[in-house]
Amino acid sequence: MVSDETFFAWLDGELSPDEAARVESEVAANAELKQLAEQHRAMQARLKGAFDAVAEAPLPESLVTAARKSEHQVIDFAAAKRARHGPWPRSLPQWAAMAATLAAGIVVGTQVPIPSHAPVQVEGGHVYAAAALSQALDDELAGAPSKSPVRIGLTFRDQAGEICRSFTQQATSGLACRSGDRWQLRGLFGAPEGQGGDYRMAAGMDPNLAALVDSTMAGEPFDAAQEKAARKKEWR
Amino acid sequence: MDRPLSFEDELAGLLPRLRRFAHALSRNPSDADDLTQMTIERALRSRAQWQQGTRLDSWAYKIMRNLWIDTARSRSRKEKFEAPAEEAESLGDESAAGIEASVDLNRIMAAMQRLPEEQREVVALILIEGFGYREASEMLGLPIGTVSSRLVRGRTALLQLVGA
Repeated sequence: MVSDETFFAWLDGELSPDEAARVESEVAANAELKQLAEQHRAMQARLKGAFDAVAEAPLPESLVTAARKSEHQVIDFAAAKRARHGPWPRSLPQWAAMAATLAAGIVVGTQVPIPSHAPVQVEGGHVYAAAALSQALDDELAGAPSKSPVRIGLTFRDQAGEICRSFTQQATSGLACRSGDRWQLRGLFGAPEGQGGDYRMAAGMDPNLAALVDSTMAGEPFDAAQEKAARKKEWR
Repeated sequence: MDRPLSFEDELAGLLPRLRRFAHALSRNPSDADDLTQMTIERALRSRAQWQQGTRLDSWAYKIMRNLWIDTARSRSRKEKFEAPAEEAESLGDESAAGIEASVDLNRIMAAMQRLPEEQREVVALILIEGFGYREASEMLGLPIGTVSSRLVRGRTALLQLVGA
């Protein structure tokens, strides 16, 4: 007599061909086992059918959103601005907090020569690059050796024709676009605790930043010559 | 800009399956969606622990299973001191948003709730999610013989509960 475990392992296709053949013939010769097999097949089909309805149903928005939120602290300024419907006095602290986060994200653990110069400043609800960050965005070329703690990634134009540059400073990366003669930050992404620059480099561009670059870029990123030429024209 | 499928893309692709597994484990659809959301958030936070080249699905299922056990434990501790636990059947008819009102799903979720947790997870992984015995035993950290005997008991009880 075949054991329960073996019988069900056969039903689930878990047996070797030899064993399966043996159980198969035993079941074929036994009306009770045959009926049991049918009942369990029907039950599993019903089980699968019921739960498959869940997998086939449209996903709730909350889950899709959760999946798109990275473990990185996302500070997407455009989105924050769109989400900001409240009156100015209520939203002001939000920006102040963001600026504080921004400043902390960039200054902590880096070697900015004069730490009292925050690398970002907030003005009229926008965040601009300042100090070492602004300097690097003005002067540095991607892949070129430099003493700046800021590494430049891609340079490209956005849909409005402004030049944008992605950058990384240790575990923080972001995107800044030209606004007049300044660099306005469009997004800044900090790695979670315990993940340093090595992880970031191994993993390539932060996926949040990649998504932001994707949605911002019009056309192709600049090549080295275009980047150099753009610097000459002061990123106009 | 073309880029390879990111970790987030892959994880998002697993959502329907994770949600299905959550429904098989949980007592009602809203608990299931909470569990799915917690799982996604945990997976995103712990992505550094995922080994590239290994299966993302098993890893995410494992996270969900552990979270489910944690929540179930803390709930049962709480309920010991509070009102008696509500019957699974009465909670089962809360229909989930977006899922076609399925009487059968509610009945089957209620039946799953009557299985002991250790049988429920094995039934869910193998009979509903379609994992093999070995994959399930690796995910659960159990010997394959234990998985197979729990599966026998679980599916036998389920057949009694829902009929064929």
